[in-house]
Amino acid sequence: MTTIQESISLSESEDTAITVRDLTKVYGGSFRAVDGINFDVRRGEVFGLLGPNGAGKTTTIKIITTLIAPTSGEVKVFGIDVTSKPQEVRQSLGYVPQAISVDGDLSAYENLLIFSKLFYVSREDRDSRIASALEYMGLAERKDDLVKHYSGGMMRRLEIAQALVNRPKVLILDEPSIGLDPSSKKQMLDYIKRLNKDFKTTVLITTHDMIEADELCDRLAIMDHGKIAVIGKPKDLKKSVGGEIITVTLARDQSEAPESSKSSGISSIFASGFPKELGTLVSIENSTIKILVENGDRAIPRIIDYFERNSIGVDAISLSKPTLDDVFMKYANVSLESAGRASDTRSVRRTFTRRSG
Amino acid sequence: MSFQRFASSVFTLAEMEARKIRHDSTELWMRAIQPALWLAIFGEVLNTIRGLSPGGYQYIQFIAPGVLAQSVLFVAIFYGILIVWERDFGLLTKLLSTPSPRSAIVVGKALAAGVRGVFQGVVIVALALILGINLRFDILDVAGVLLIAVLFAMCFASLSMILASLLKTRDRMMGIGQAITMPLFFASNAIYPIALMPQWLQAIAIVNPLSYVVDAMRSMLLTGDYSTLPTDILALIVSTLILVTLASISLKRLIE
Repeated sequence: MTTIQESISLSESEDTAITVRDLTKVYGGSFRAVDGINFDVRRGEVFGLLGPNGAGKTTTIKIITTLIAPTSGEVKVFGIDVTSKPQEVRQSLGYVPQAISVDGDLSAYENLLIFSKLFYVSREDRDSRIASALEYMGLAERKDDLVKHYSGGMMRRLEIAQALVNRPKVLILDEPSIGLDPSSKKQMLDYIKRLNKDFKTTVLITTHDMIEADELCDRLAIMDHGKIAVIGKPKDLKKSVGGEIITVTLARDQSEAPESSKSSGISSIFASGFPKELGTLVSIENSTIKILVENGDRAIPRIIDYFERNSIGVDAISLSKPTLDDVFMKYANVSLESAGRASDTRSVRRTFTRRSG
Repeated sequence: MSFQRFASSVFTLAEMEARKIRHDSTELWMRAIQPALWLAIFGEVLNTIRGLSPGGYQYIQFIAPGVLAQSVLFVAIFYGILIVWERDFGLLTKLLSTPSPRSAIVVGKALAAGVRGVFQGVVIVALALILGINLRFDILDVAGVLLIAVLFAMCFASLSMILASLLKTRDRMMGIGQAITMPLFFASNAIYPIALMPQWLQAIAIVNPLSYVVDAMRSMLLTGDYSTLPTDILALIVSTLILVTLASISLKRLIE
């Protein structure tokens, strides 16, 4: 496993909220949904699990919330083991599953009341907390309406309100922004941030959305095929990609190039190796080449020059600052978008395993 | 302390169901149509035939407790569909992620089915009053019948949850529900006395829990003869305990 900047000394300490060690979940005897992962969530931080669908994020979360049992490995929440004392663990967790988990046949107030009772919130605290949670989440005016008449964004807010009433030490959200329109999504992210700031709630969130992860998380783990490729702060992760990225789009029509180099054009980049002094090749997809460089402005003229010398026609060239998508591409060796298409390319997996092994 | 918590969670889930019924009880009213037809049409027509009911009672008196038990059975046996529904949304995982013990969630859900069962019971007792069926409408007896209805609903809702954890989809649950209810109903003493059945059917009726429920309800609403009541209640309690335990164990299959 690669770690950035902080070499995690894998020891439990006072400031750790969740400890995950060598966690593995095998389905049907052979499918390793989670494959020996390790990470810590520190108290008070927003920690993200980022990866495409099927990466093993939800399985990891379900093990932490004691909904499913791990095949092997250890998970502790505030030092309490999830397999031996599940009820104690759940007492400190708030969970917002991927699917909508409020009851549409009850009012918002009733949803909060019922779940506060199931969380054993004391009678004295209950009413005042429910009232202030409804106020805080902007649901007070419609508290007696049946939740099935709510919009998706309001339902998500109600789920976060439940966390406000039950005051879990850790709030776990599984893909909370799925199905929300951009403005409700932004609003929800703001509420999560406020919750984290105002109540010092530790947040563990899964997402496949780079922008969301970048905006929200103090630290994140990039996950693919049941393994964690890298853990770090978004800023450091982006820095670790090595700088800025130049995207070169090759001309479709390479006929201007002499016949001899036409066939060898693109492949020669690999054959002789892309010159290191220009930058590092990140990916080649169809006619798009991504190159990592230290300083984009300076590198562009040299790269153009290089392609010209090799008689490769270039259609367009652009410079972009690194995003988490680029980070994902570097560590998981595949773009998040194409990995999300559930194309279980074995070759990708092999490279991935080699890298992380 | 832990028993207190267990009980608190169980009653909270029953409260949740009661609140839902308060918001919208349409489904339960519609479920009362079928038993109403059994009483008002089937019962009235067969009332003219002597010999269908023992002890000199009118036939409509005889089947009233049977119809009550049947309508509770219907509510309970399809309760698993609601559980699958709640699984398909995130609600079941949410319930299981609370600090409440898993068994408390299952018992609570069974009791929630009991709440619906009581609703059915009250509707049918009222219906019997309206139709002028001559039953013993003694307060304690009616309360006893409703208590049995709760236990009975818990028993079959647990069975339904076990089936749900095995079958996992709503469609299959609809199918199995249809497949179970009618045989249970016909192979019981609900609409005719066991003595009238052929030998092989009698053997089934004797092990059919519905027979014991109907017998208990009939002794309270009709005959006032409580001699078989302890056996009936014991049989019901034992089967409820077994099924609720099995349901608690099997429920995790539904979320894996």
